[in-house]
Amino acid sequence: MSVKDFDMKVFIPKVREVVKKYDFRFDPKTPCPWDDDLADRIYQAAMDLYVDVGTYCTSTERVIKFTRKEVEEAVYECPKEAWFGEGPDRVVFKGRKPDSPDIPHCHVGSGTNTTEEVALKMVEAYGRITRAKTVSIPSVTQVGHLKTSSGSPMETLAGINMMRIGREGLRRAGRPGMAIINHMSSCAAGISTVAASHSEFGARPSDGWLVAPHAELKIDYSSLNQVAFLNSWGANIGQEAGPILGGYAGGPEGTAVVTAAYAFHGILVARATYHLTYPIQIVPVCSTTPGMIFVVSISSQAINRNLGVPYYALGYASAGSATKQYFYEAASYLCAVHASGMGIEDVHPNKAVLTNGALPIDSEFTCAFGHGMAGLTRKEANRIILRLMEKYLDKIKDGPKGRTVDQVYDLDTMKPKDELLKLYDETVRELRDYGIKLK
Amino acid sequence: MFEAIRGAIIDGSGAEASRIAQSALEEIDPLDMVNEGLMPAMNTVGERFGRGELFLPEMLEAAEAWEETMKVLKPKMLEKEESILKVATVVIGTVQTDIHEIGKNIVAYMMTASGFEVHDMGIDVPASKFVEKAEQVDADIIAASAIMTTTMPYQKDIIDYLEARGLRNKYIVLVGGGVVNQDWADEIGADGYGELVSDAVDVAKQLLAERGRSRSD
Repeated sequence: MSVKDFDMKVFIPKVREVVKKYDFRFDPKTPCPWDDDLADRIYQAAMDLYVDVGTYCTSTERVIKFTRKEVEEAVYECPKEAWFGEGPDRVVFKGRKPDSPDIPHCHVGSGTNTTEEVALKMVEAYGRITRAKTVSIPSVTQVGHLKTSSGSPMETLAGINMMRIGREGLRRAGRPGMAIINHMSSCAAGISTVAASHSEFGARPSDGWLVAPHAELKIDYSSLNQVAFLNSWGANIGQEAGPILGGYAGGPEGTAVVTAAYAFHGILVARATYHLTYPIQIVPVCSTTPGMIFVVSISSQAINRNLGVPYYALGYASAGSATKQYFYEAASYLCAVHASGMGIEDVHPNKAVLTNGALPIDSEFTCAFGHGMAGLTRKEANRIILRLMEKYLDKIKDGPKGRTVDQVYDLDTMKPKDELLKLYDETVRELRDYGIKLK
Repeated sequence: MFEAIRGAIIDGSGAEASRIAQSALEEIDPLDMVNEGLMPAMNTVGERFGRGELFLPEMLEAAEAWEETMKVLKPKMLEKEESILKVATVVIGTVQTDIHEIGKNIVAYMMTASGFEVHDMGIDVPASKFVEKAEQVDADIIAASAIMTTTMPYQKDIIDYLEARGLRNKYIVLVGGGVVNQDWADEIGADGYGELVSDAVDVAKQLLAERGRSRSD
């Protein structure tokens, strides 16, 4: 089957069919719904969709399909917890329910573009956040003076360098066993990822590797080779997916169903022990709009209520770091995913395009939010989100670019400069008035 | 009749649009049908997409309906030696090793809807293939999409490839994609960059006008 036929004749009609059958409606006034029945219908729709559509393999132009019985067996048997790291830094990441009183798994860092000079300091700063359970390490796109490009030897070298930098940064932070769970942020090609995963460079099976499909519900041999390698090694495999609101899945309702369906792809095709979702809106390119918050919230509730796997969400803010708008957007997104039962990760600033634009203070904020907001209900989250959106929604198409780490940090001590601390303190005080408690 | 054909294209019904076009061919000039029916419909779909009122599936269905209807109209246009006034010719694709296509597909649609002749090379396209196609179709613009930081350098490869062959000034090179920004476009010497998929048409038209290469307004 051609990829065009898969998209046009199989995927799109089936998404429309299940949205109609289960009667979903996105209400902009309820970006974070608290309707369990709606969440369960999304789950059923996602299963119907996955059973009928499967995963398209672009390398073979064939569809990988499973019967409903096979999907249900996988749901029963799939890993419900993932163990990360070594020694005293070893942690378990478990599924969590919506409205849970428990503190979510707090994952920090980002795989965004960072220069080699700064990368080590950034990882060390992430590692020093004691409430962070696991870490993402940056992506470097240059080795020496040479740019790396996907599939090239330079990409393999960049992956090896970052693997070494990541491990060394965590050792310097006093957390040598802390797991890095976004391998290989510097590599896109499967061959580079596998090569840079040699244990000589510091990789351990108790880290985590993200295996990416592409939109929507498609995979290729490059990713499947990663699965074959990682599964044989006994390493943690993370199913990552970034469904596109406005893309093949259509509007918020269809995108929510497809986002949930990736979990089935994850347990069956990617053999995932943990799951990451980062749905994104095509216009504007970020994840803090009402439609996006709805997608991530209701799809997470569907999976967390019915599948119960280790599952976390990554958002993209329009605004860059070291701006008030960034924290409003981040708080809005974190409210939704926290209350919906997800593990949380730093909301990436400035759509993740600014080199050195992710800051350790973003990670501090994530953890303080995760702990301070334990017990947040979906209903309360929805109320806060609507109020926060009044602060940023009209500016979301053209958010401020933000500042880079060298501009707002003392790079010798990796301490924020006074201007950043002042902005952070002011913003935290404002957020408190909205019902956001940081701890 | 124009309204009916517009409605059918917007609804993505190629069969209906073709039927209307076929039945009207005796009375209405095929080029008028394109200019008054098909093109405005494609523009409406593009505008609604920009406003978030409809999405990629509806856009692709409208594009298929356009193609199906053009199969009816094109032979008649050839008979009458008519052709659609095109703004410019574009070769578009996603760069080498990058398999993401959604943004590129939307830009291709928007450009078609705005009167550009678009040659879509698909995904994972090496620099040499972009240039080979551009030379073959006498293109004005090469538009290259990259969605990952590790595939962005292949946008620069296209510019390097053009420069190495003395062709750099022959083409307007546009770059875009999720991780691409103006700084990167400036760094590699691209002529234009669009942050949003909806920016591409405006950027292209502006650059064409600046170079005096626009074939229409």
